Amino acid sequence: MDYDVYEATQDASVGDMWVFCESRDGQLRDVSLEMLGKARRMMDDYNEEYDADENVVALVLGQDARGLAGECVQHGADVVYVAEDEQLVPFRLLPYTTVVANAALMRDEYKDYDKPRYFLFPATHNGRDLSATVAGKLDTGLASDCDDLYIEDAEIKHPFKTEGEETVFERTLHMVRPDFSGFEHSTILCLDNPHRDFHPQSASVIPGSFPVPEPDRDRLQEGRILQLPVKFREGDLDVTVTEREHLDDGVDLTDDERVVAVGRGIGEDPTEGLELGLELSDALGSGFGLSRGVITASYNVDGNVESYVAEERQIGETGQIVEPDVYIAAGISGAVQHKTGMDESEFICSINTDPEAPIKDFSNVYIHGDLFEVVPRLIDEIERIREGDE
Amino acid sequence: MDIAVLVKGVPDFSEGSVEFHEDNTLDRGSTETVLNPNDHFALECARELKVKHGATIHVVTMGPPNYKEVLHEAAEFAGDEFYLLSDGKFAGADTWATAHALHAGLNEIGDLDLVIAGFKTADGETGHTGPQTSLMLDWPIITHCVEVNVQPEAETIGARRQLYGEAEHCEGPLPCFIVMDPDYEPSFHTASQRLRLKDILAEQAEIVEAEDFGEHVHTWGLEDLPVDEHVVGLRGSPTIVSGVDPIPQPPAERDAEEFGTSEEELREVAKLLVEKGGL
Ligand SMILES: Cc1cc2nc3c(=O)[nH]c(=O)nc-3n(C[C@H](O)[C@H](O)[C@H](O)COP(=O)(O)OP(=O)(O)OC[C@H]3O[C@@H](n4cnc5c(N)ncnc54)[C@H](O)[C@@H]3O)c2cc1C
Ligand SMILES: Nc1ncnc2c1ncn2[C@@H]1O[C@H](COP(=O)(O)O)[C@@H](O)[C@H]1O
Repeated sequence: MDYDVYEATQDASVGDMWVFCESRDGQLRDVSLEMLGKARRMMDDYNEEYDADENVVALVLGQDARGLAGECVQHGADVVYVAEDEQLVPFRLLPYTTVVANAALMRDEYKDYDKPRYFLFPATHNGRDLSATVAGKLDTGLASDCDDLYIEDAEIKHPFKTEGEETVFERTLHMVRPDFSGFEHSTILCLDNPHRDFHPQSASVIPGSFPVPEPDRDRLQEGRILQLPVKFREGDLDVTVTEREHLDDGVDLTDDERVVAVGRGIGEDPTEGLELGLELSDALGSGFGLSRGVITASYNVDGNVESYVAEERQIGETGQIVEPDVYIAAGISGAVQHKTGMDESEFICSINTDPEAPIKDFSNVYIHGDLFEVVPRLIDEIERIREGDE
Repeated sequence: MDIAVLVKGVPDFSEGSVEFHEDNTLDRGSTETVLNPNDHFALECARELKVKHGATIHVVTMGPPNYKEVLHEAAEFAGDEFYLLSDGKFAGADTWATAHALHAGLNEIGDLDLVIAGFKTADGETGHTGPQTSLMLDWPIITHCVEVNVQPEAETIGARRQLYGEAEHCEGPLPCFIVMDPDYEPSFHTASQRLRLKDILAEQAEIVEAEDFGEHVHTWGLEDLPVDEHVVGLRGSPTIVSGVDPIPQPPAERDAEEFGTSEEELREVAKLLVEKGGL
């Protein structure tokens, strides 16, 4: 098979679940271990269900890859492919794409099938890019940002994939991702067409979706570590990294004892909403955060508060995880991705016009009201109490 | 310089809730469509480069006929020529099938020096379409760009990327494919650049208001493009959405005490906040 063109394949033989284990500066990222643990559990079930003997295959590229292989085995891999090459440090998309796609298509002393059956990537900056290009190279499909995965037969009727007939696709990876509002989950499947195979069924996985498994030293005896061939295509190395610098960590809300956050409830007058949030945060001497809703809304806000609408203030699964003594959520509905970032707070106070808003279910105190009316009055009361104390 | 910008229409999430068809695909008909917010940055980057070096900007979208409105909205930011890739056979595409159609459209435009995509769409949220389109072009690619400089004569590009709390500076050749990070901001250093920007914005306003805006839009279907129907649309898509389910709300974790907005009630909450906050 020629990996150079993403040509349609038919009747390819497939096997195993592959996991791209991302490392940075010679350290595996937690999400890599989380994926290995999940892959282990899925393949154990798979082998039992389908009476099979397929493996979890980890890929580690770049700095000290060999040194990280044992950790992969202890966390669930049966086989670890490693590639160390100076061109693989730091991460660059095209060289990585070539090495990974090549690995997926090669045959060697271990690999006796055409393509992996499943492939997991981390939904991180680099992992997401790589998942897209590797799936493309292999002419297959993928789902991004999954927070659940399971393998099951799927009964499907589709105008092209099944030509309208009810058909069972065996051993299908069900890729579950939160969508749109955060209140819906979509399940994505990657299914063969009549004359076009779509394997590996691939997904990127949101960091933190699965627990890091306990390392198991006993696994080390069984694990196999294999070297990947490193070969690049013309043009792969054209983009060079000339400089890398650490940025200031920006806004850090994780150590704050109090956090005030506002959401799309400020929509009627975003500038005033932000100002009110900031004033409340002043009154309480707290950090100031946002729901993602505010960041994606593209509000036009006045210059004085413009700089506060920034990803560095986002709280939630894809932002900061905070656990202050007091968390105030004004005009935030409480989507699951937001909840993940704040529900360990000691005391949660929500302000919302909608008594059905999910946030109420994890608040200690819920104020049923319009934040534009409630927040200024709350500030007055807080100031009065605090002044009285002094 | 010839720059193509990939833009997409997305449901306007501020306009009520998003609707689904019975087969679980998005019902775009009943939700208003707007230009994907992340694509503003791609258009602004193209405009910045036009200010600094001069360029023809080609704005490309694949979607249903009403995406003409999306192109119109894009014209407020930038664009000299507009392309609507629209065909019943393109419909229902996942990112890989979308990339096939976009790639064909870009080839048909021809002779491009730079293609710019947004990071993610507000509805799909995959961030795959850019890298996959670039893969088909077989061009170098730089993602997560917050700053972009080109040297048209030397045919090189430099970009500052932002990821994992680090900044990275990259150099590469033209033609190149870049994906913008939402933290991108255009920068103009000289008075002449700012004047040039003003002129270009005035030109854009004219394009937007022109009665014949439609004449700036090239509409291409499957027949007009060098692409096979087996790789586009629903037919060409490896993935399907098999189900959309509400995320079950877990049982209440805390028994919220409910307050109204009377003075006494707010005072009580204020007391609790001060006390629990250790103030
Ligand atoms: C992959 C992925 C990752 C994500 N990561 C995150 C994340 O890390 N953090 C995050 O926050 N979100 C994240 N989201 C988005 C999340 O799903 C929600 O869309 C988002 O949290 C909603 O923000 P919101 O609560 O501000 O807006 P909405 O859901 O629109 O809620 C606004 C609330 O304000 C109330 N309201 C309206 N007017 C007023 C008023 N005047 N006074 C008081 N209340 C009012 C409404 O009743 C409503 O409850 C992610 C989504 C995806 C798909
Ligand atoms: N149908 C489309 N037409 C044109 N550009 C698109 C289309 N879909 C996605 N893109 C581009 O790809 C980027 C990422 O989209 P996505 O992969 O859907 O998150 C967008 O910001 C656009 O620049």
